[in-house]
Amino acid sequence: MKNKYLFPVALFLLAIALPYIVPEFWVHVLTEILIMGLFAASFNMVFGYMGQLTFGHAAYYGVGAYTTGLLMVKANVPLLLCLPLSMLSAGLCAAVLGYFCVKLRGIYFAILTMAFGQLVYYIIFQWYSFTGGDNGLQGIVPPAFLGKAANPYYFFTLIVVAIGMIALWIISESPFGYTMRAIRDNAERTEFIGINVQRYMHLNFIIAAMFAGLAGALWGPFNRSVAPDLCNWQHSGMPVFMTVMGGPFNFLGPLIGSAIYTMLMAFVTSFTEYWPMVSGIIIILVVLLLPGGLLGLLEDKFPFLRRKDDSEKGAEE
Amino acid sequence: MDITSLFTQFLSGLTYGTILFLVAAGLSLIFGVMNILNFAHAALWLMGAYFSYTFWNLMQDYSFGFWLSIPLAGLAAAAVGWVMEVVLIKRIYKRELYEQLLITYSIALILSDTIKLTWGVTNKLIVRPEIIQKPVFIFGAPLDSYFIFVILAGAAVASGLWWFLKYTRYGHIVKAAVHSREMVAALGIPIPRIYTWVFTLGIFLAGFAGGIQAPIGSITLGMDTAIIIQAFCVVVIGGFGSLLGTLVGSLIVGEVMSFTILFWPEGAMVLIFVITAAILIVRPWGLFGTPMRT
Amino acid sequence: MARAMDNICENILKIDRLKKSFGKYSVLTDVSYSLRKGEIAAIIGPNGAGKSTFFNLITGYHHVDGGTVHFLGREITNWPRHRIARAGISRAFQVSNIYARLTTFENVRQAILAQEKRTLDIFTPAHRLAEKNTLELIDLTGLMPNRKHLAGILSQGDKKKLELALALAGKPELLLLDEPTAGMSSEETQETMELVKRLNREIGLSILFTEHDISVIFGYAHKLSVLYQGMVIAEGTPEEVRKNEEAQQCYLGEEV
Repeated sequence: MKNKYLFPVALFLLAIALPYIVPEFWVHVLTEILIMGLFAASFNMVFGYMGQLTFGHAAYYGVGAYTTGLLMVKANVPLLLCLPLSMLSAGLCAAVLGYFCVKLRGIYFAILTMAFGQLVYYIIFQWYSFTGGDNGLQGIVPPAFLGKAANPYYFFTLIVVAIGMIALWIISESPFGYTMRAIRDNAERTEFIGINVQRYMHLNFIIAAMFAGLAGALWGPFNRSVAPDLCNWQHSGMPVFMTVMGGPFNFLGPLIGSAIYTMLMAFVTSFTEYWPMVSGIIIILVVLLLPGGLLGLLEDKFPFLRRKDDSEKGAEE
Repeated sequence: MDITSLFTQFLSGLTYGTILFLVAAGLSLIFGVMNILNFAHAALWLMGAYFSYTFWNLMQDYSFGFWLSIPLAGLAAAAVGWVMEVVLIKRIYKRELYEQLLITYSIALILSDTIKLTWGVTNKLIVRPEIIQKPVFIFGAPLDSYFIFVILAGAAVASGLWWFLKYTRYGHIVKAAVHSREMVAALGIPIPRIYTWVFTLGIFLAGFAGGIQAPIGSITLGMDTAIIIQAFCVVVIGGFGSLLGTLVGSLIVGEVMSFTILFWPEGAMVLIFVITAAILIVRPWGLFGTPMRT
Repeated sequence: MARAMDNICENILKIDRLKKSFGKYSVLTDVSYSLRKGEIAAIIGPNGAGKSTFFNLITGYHHVDGGTVHFLGREITNWPRHRIARAGISRAFQVSNIYARLTTFENVRQAILAQEKRTLDIFTPAHRLAEKNTLELIDLTGLMPNRKHLAGILSQGDKKKLELALALAGKPELLLLDEPTAGMSSEETQETMELVKRLNREIGLSILFTEHDISVIFGYAHKLSVLYQGMVIAEGTPEEVRKNEEAQQCYLGEEV
C-alpha cells in the first residue's frame, strides 16, 4: 500500500520537470497529452468502471469546449470561471441524454450514445449564428497572466488536470465507485441488494460527462479555437483508443494511453500523412496481442505494480 | 408548393434511400448473423466506387464497360472483404464488444489510407454513356435518368436477397443464424464458414453499392465517413438482421432527408438522429427486428 | 423461541391468486400462499413446477401478470427490484449470482454499504467504511479464509455461502433461498442450515426456501408446500404432507 502513490507522484514530478528539458513543440504535445488524458480518464469512468462502451463521449467534451469558447469570446468571462461552467453545461447535457442511454446496455448503449453524439455535433455544426458552424470559434486567447509562451498554459493545464484526476480517483475509490464496479460485474445482483441501478448509472454518466467537459474547456484556449469536429464520432473514438492502449483496468491507464497515442501521433505525422493507417495497425496489434493494455502487460510482468485490492485484472486468471 | 416539386423531392428521396439500402443491407446482414458492427463497411463501399472507376477506365473502349464495372466493383470489394474476414475478423468472434468495434474501426482507417495511396487525392469522375446523360420527366418531374437504373438495381438486389433468404438452403441457414447460432451449430453446419460467406456477401453488397454510387457525382476521399453513420441509423430504425426493416429504414431516412431539406435544411441530419434515438429508446431491436439474444 | 411465538399469527407474506405466463406457456396458474412471521417454510415441486418463477415474482424479477403480493401488510406487487429489496426481502439465487471480479470482502462490503445507504457517497474511500460489519458477516457465513480471494474463483459451496452473505447483508425480514445447499458438501449443508436456523431463532428472521434434499426439508422446515403444474396442491407440516396422497403421487413418492 505504501508505494501505491509512488507511480502517480513520480509521474507528476516528471510532468513538472519535462517542460524545462524538451523543446517548445513537445510542450504543446505534453499539454495535449494532459487534456486528452483527462478526457480518456472520464471516458473510462463509464467504460472501465461501469462496463458500458460510450461512443459519443466527445459530445460532452465538445459542449465543454464550446461553453468556454463562447463565454470567453462573446462575454469575456474569465477562464477560471469558464471551467466550472463548462462542467455544468456538459453535465446538464448528459443529464438529459444520459437519462435515455442508461436504459440500454451493450451494443445498444454504444449506438445510442453515438447517435446522441452525432446529434450534438450536427446542432453545433448547423447553428451558424451561435456557434460559427463549420468555421468554429476563433480567437480564444488564454488570460494575460498565462502569457504567450507554451510553458505557463502547460502548467495551468497540469494543475487543472491533476485536480480533475484526483477527483476522479477519489470517486472511483468511494462506495459510489465500488457500486459502479458492482454494476459492471453484475447489474442484476446489484438491484437485488437494493440499488437503483439505472439511477446510479445515470449519475455516473453525468459525472463522466462533467470531467469530459472540463477537459474540453482546456482545449479552446490551448488551440486558440474550437471546431465542431471536437464532437463527432471520430473524436469519440480517441478516448477508446487511448484507454485500450494504456489499460482500462487501471486508473492511470487512460492517461498513459493518451501519452503513447499523442506522442506517436506527433512523431509519425512529422514524416508521413498516413497516420490513420499507422494508428489503425497499432490498435489492431494492441487488441490482438495486448488485451490489458500497456499497464496490464507491465502488471503481468511485474506483479508488485499491482495494488493488493486491485482485483479487476486478475479475474480471468 | 406544387405537386410536381413534391414529386421531384420524393424521387430524390427514393434514390438516396436506395443507395442507403444497398450500403445498409450488408451491414444489417453482418450484424444480424455475426453480431459484429462493421465500421469498415462504408470504407469498402468507397473502395467499390474506386474499383468501379478503375474497371471503367480499363474498359472505356467498350460500350458495356460502364455497366460491367459495377458488378466487378462488388466482386473486387468482396475479395478484399474475404481477406479481411479470414485474416482479422475470424480472430475476434468471441472477443468483447469494444474489441470488435475497435478492430473494424481500425480496418476502416487502414482502408481509407489505402484508397488514398492507391488512387491519390484527386477526385475521380466516370463519364456516363449517352443514353443516361439527359434527365427524363415523370409526371412532369425531372429525374436524372441514371437514377432509374439506381432504383431498379436497388429493387433487384432487394428481391434477389429476399429470394435467397426465402428459397435457398444457404438462405435458410443464414436466417436461422440470425435467430439462434446454437441451432445452426446443432445442424452440423460449421459456423465460421457461414460467417466468412455472410461477411463476404455483405461486403459484395457494399462494393456493388459503391459501384452504383460512382457515376452519380465525383468520387471523393472521405465520402464514407458521413454515410456510415447514416447506414447505422437505417439499420437501427429497421432492426438489425431484418431485410424488410433495412428497406423501410432506408426509405424513411432517404425521404425524411429529402423533404426536411425543403423547409428546414439545417435540421435534416438532426431529425434523422432524433428518429434513430427515439427508436432505440422505445424499441431497441428496431421496427422489424426481433428482440436480441443476450 | 418465545419471540417467534408472539408473532406467530401475523402474516409477513401474503400472496393471492398469483399468475404468470411466458408467451403461451403458463407457469403459475393460480397460487395463493401465506407465510407467518418467524416461520421457516419450504416449497418443493418437480423441475419446471414454477418454484423459481414464484421467487422471481415475489422479488420483482419478473412482471406479475395477475394477483397480488403483500409484504408486512403493504402491497408490493410489481415494485422495482431494488425497492422490494429495500423493503426487507432478500434473496439468494439458485445459481450463484455474485460479483466474480471483486474479492469476497468487497462483495459483502458492497451489499452492506447498500444496506447502510452509503453508496451515494463519492468522497470517503470505501476501504474505510463498514469494515467491522463486513468482517462479522464474513465470519458468520464461514468465509473468513476466502475473504481476500476473487469471488469468481471460489468453490461452488463457497459461492453459495457468499450468496447467502449477500442476502443477509440487506438485514432482511424475509429471506428467500433458492436451493441454498445445491453444490455444497454434506458438512457445508449442515453448517449453512444450522446458521439459517440460528438466525430464525435469534432474530426471528422469516425464511422461505426451495430444496431438493428431502432430509434438509424434514430437518428444518416448519411448513411445507407442494407446487405442481403452477398450483399449490398440498400444504401443511412436513409430516402431514408426507401422508398426503396427492402430494405423494405428484412428487414425494418418487423420492421418499
